[in-house]
Amino acid sequence: MKTTRRELLAGAAAGIFCPALLKNAFAADATRICSVLSLSGPFSSAGKPADLGARLAVRALASKYGLSAEYVALDDEGNPGRAMPKIITAAQREKIRFFSGPVLSSVGLAMSQAVANLGGVYVSSIGADEVTGSECRKSTFRWPVPSYGAIQQTVRPLIGMLPSARRWFTVTPSYVFGEALLRNSKAIFKELGVEHVGNIDHSLTETEFSGHITNILAAKPDVILVLNFGPQTTNFLRQAAEFGLKDKMKILVAWGAGLEQFSEIGSDVLDGVYFGLQYWHDVDTPKNKAIVELFRNEANTLPSWSMVNLFTCNDLLLQGLKKAKSDDPQEVIKALEGLTYEGPTGEENIRPFDHQCVKEYYLALAKPASKKKNDADFVDIVSSGRSFVEQAISQCRMT
Amino acid sequence: MASMLLSQVANGVGIGIIYFMIAVGMSITFGMMRFLNIAHGGFYLLGAYVGFELVQQTGSFWFALVGAPICIGLVAWLSEPAFSVLYRLSHNMQILATLGLALVIQETVVLVWDTVGKHVAAPGGLVGAVAFGDFVYPRYRLFVICVGVVLAAGLWLLLERTNYGAVLRAGTQSTDDIELLGIDIRRVFAATFGLGAGLAGLAGVLAAPIRGVEPFMGPEALAIAFVVVVVGGLGSFFGALAGGLLIGIIQSTTSVFWPAASGVAMYVGMAAIMLIRPRGLLGRA
Amino acid sequence: MSRYGTNCAQSTREILGLIATVALLPAVLPSVSLATECVIFVIATLGCNLLLGRVGLLSFGQGIFFGAGSYATGLAIVRLGAGPVFSLSAALLLGSMVAALIGSLAARRRGVYFIMLTLAFTQMCYFLAFGMSGVTGGDNGLLGVSRPPLSFLGTTLLPLDSDLSFYALCSIICVAVYALLARVTGSPFGAVLVAIRENESRTFAVGYNPLAYKILAFVLSGMVTAVAGGLYAMFLRFVPLSNIDISMSERILIMTMLGGVGSLFGGVIGAVTVVVLSHLLSDLWSRWILLLGLVLIVVAVCLPGGLWSALQWIATALRRGVIGMSPRRAHLPLEK
Repeated sequence: MKTTRRELLAGAAAGIFCPALLKNAFAADATRICSVLSLSGPFSSAGKPADLGARLAVRALASKYGLSAEYVALDDEGNPGRAMPKIITAAQREKIRFFSGPVLSSVGLAMSQAVANLGGVYVSSIGADEVTGSECRKSTFRWPVPSYGAIQQTVRPLIGMLPSARRWFTVTPSYVFGEALLRNSKAIFKELGVEHVGNIDHSLTETEFSGHITNILAAKPDVILVLNFGPQTTNFLRQAAEFGLKDKMKILVAWGAGLEQFSEIGSDVLDGVYFGLQYWHDVDTPKNKAIVELFRNEANTLPSWSMVNLFTCNDLLLQGLKKAKSDDPQEVIKALEGLTYEGPTGEENIRPFDHQCVKEYYLALAKPASKKKNDADFVDIVSSGRSFVEQAISQCRMT
Repeated sequence: MASMLLSQVANGVGIGIIYFMIAVGMSITFGMMRFLNIAHGGFYLLGAYVGFELVQQTGSFWFALVGAPICIGLVAWLSEPAFSVLYRLSHNMQILATLGLALVIQETVVLVWDTVGKHVAAPGGLVGAVAFGDFVYPRYRLFVICVGVVLAAGLWLLLERTNYGAVLRAGTQSTDDIELLGIDIRRVFAATFGLGAGLAGLAGVLAAPIRGVEPFMGPEALAIAFVVVVVGGLGSFFGALAGGLLIGIIQSTTSVFWPAASGVAMYVGMAAIMLIRPRGLLGRA
Repeated sequence: MSRYGTNCAQSTREILGLIATVALLPAVLPSVSLATECVIFVIATLGCNLLLGRVGLLSFGQGIFFGAGSYATGLAIVRLGAGPVFSLSAALLLGSMVAALIGSLAARRRGVYFIMLTLAFTQMCYFLAFGMSGVTGGDNGLLGVSRPPLSFLGTTLLPLDSDLSFYALCSIICVAVYALLARVTGSPFGAVLVAIRENESRTFAVGYNPLAYKILAFVLSGMVTAVAGGLYAMFLRFVPLSNIDISMSERILIMTMLGGVGSLFGGVIGAVTVVVLSHLLSDLWSRWILLLGLVLIVVAVCLPGGLWSALQWIATALRRGVIGMSPRRAHLPLEK
């Protein structure tokens, strides 16, 4: 009787695990580049385009650089607790050492730690300051501009452009990234003598902003600085338009999600809103022209920020592999440190001391539907620049 | 301060009336069939998406407003015999099965409409806000409140003044007694199930211009329906109405006094009410 | 197996089966870390099974205990530099305290109201952990949890840095917890729990205080689940906020119910199945949750006793076919 049960268990186990065994048998010699992205779960709206960009980078650029590389997508389910076991397993099972992604900062921070433990290289696509700040690591690099630069390149120029707008109101999601944006904004308000007339902290799960909007109306600000992002920004802008806020004050979204978000919101709501952007497809740089061309030919789409973010992260991994002429993570890290390269926003370079890429951040103004040259022509870039925390005041202490 | 409080109460009523529509269906299906439907949020989700699709196809929000709930209601009514398999299961297994169904609905929506959220514009005449001095209120939300009031009155008449209503009310007390009266309880079940689903679908269409349409709006609606139903009392029509409005007002007033807590306020309220009044505000003892 | 508890021979067989499973997992699974995840969730499922299977309490609050355990262990290691024994004991202690508190409030209500109340507590604890970001790291999670070696008076007994040794620790704890719970469910205490499930007022009438027993069951369940949470923190080397949210409760519940609550061993099957399937399927198809949903529906409708009852049924059929013995009654779903 005992043997029967054991046999059963073994049989059931073999049946369940068969695909895993098959998968192992297919392991090839190519260097595998693994992008960790939210392909299912509530954040998959950002994960799917990111996957497209990540995939395209490896497909199109590896052969161009004379490398043999293979793309592996890992679904983090929008949950760091689900993502980490998968990353550890991928590293153990398929010997993956090169990682990029994800969508969420909480996943990215944990990833940075996990990849360091695994002895790999990680190019991060998230905005949390810690990645190249207090939690910086030898094995971690990051392409996007963190919160400091995002605020410097949006709040500061807009205060200059709207000299009569002296009363600013902030809308902050109560978690680490939102608080970092708020801290940086307050420093600028203080420096330039702008009055900070109020702030709203809302939870990350909020979808209903009407109550908050009433508070904003009562404070009578000239500018609302929106520090949340993604779906929450979308909901906030919609409801702000509903309450007629746009007629009474300017709105600045410091951390805009780009093209997909604009198409979701629509130009009637967007019109007149300022956005901080990491990337815009109309920017005139040689590399960006090539990227737009590549996405048009290979994916029949215009590249969005989500796509280009992961595209560039994987591009950096590939450039590191190419320059290092080796797939030893330590060599790749050395190759990436201080690298200057042709990036989507112009010539970019990686700072050796904190592994942060130095790139442009844009301030854009959305235009009315009547002025659009084509369906994707949502905004005009009104200013741009590069601001990064100086080494002297950086919290990064790399060991 | 007074005008701000008034605004928040008005906001709360606007949100609460949508909560009522989501919750009332769940409440009456539970009261009648003892069926705990975790997939109820799925009807809300489908309502929003079918509404979006109808707006895309016909260009008319009004058509979607009427068409989508009818669609959802009809589908639920027709598929009720399949659900009836679940009535016989224990509550635990009902939860497991309908949890599975909720996941299936959500992922199917992703397959059909993709993960990126969609935008449904409010109809032309309802764009913008009306102002009474300091008090500003969006036209569309006023319209939602009106729809809610008309609907609540209609439902009340249906429940109190029609034969079907009498059967339904009796059914929440004892289905066996109704069968003894020679009424085909199966048809009443199907109609009730369809009605509840249609109302959740209507809530979905109405909410679309306010909060957009995205595949993960189901669980949020479910959580709210749970809270409203428990606060108001399971199986009670007026309980769902009172619960919906109360939760809406709690949510929007906490956003004045303690914005960070507006997400958790309704759960605290619910736990407090449950520990004091175990059967909810208006639930049967 | 009798309807009211587990007899001794049966539980010995099950423990042997569990030891065999635990020994086989790292060999058949593609990686040790996947096996570790399985074993940790087996522990969590055992805790859930005690409440759901024995007392019939469907609690959406298991994630609270899991998360509390994670934070207790994580903080003990990060802040105090404590060893595994102390850190896991901290999880045990915090888990039982939180469970006592929540149990004493929620267990006063029955049925759907009980379920809703646990749901509300889960949401509150989530917001609490989210808000106390100074302690818990909030949305970023509690980073920098290491795996200190298991040592006694300065001598290292088991370094936990390697994956296999950590797996060994988890396995030992898993088997110990199983043995403990098998013992508890077989005891008179376990019989009272089943009696409460079957008829609470009659249990009261014969002189037992159902509330006290329910709270005790909660404490036991909370302790076990919190230890799983603590191990999970050490496994991930950090504590994500998602350890304490509603989806964690859902995940533990799904594992327990999928495996079947009729026997403790059902939880083992449920946890391993869900962990392995979700890992494999999510690699193949990003909409794999659709398949999970379908599986849940099928199990709820066709197999109310869970996968365990299916295994029993097959075993019975085989025995009847092969040995020609008279079939024992296939295990029936216990709750109704």
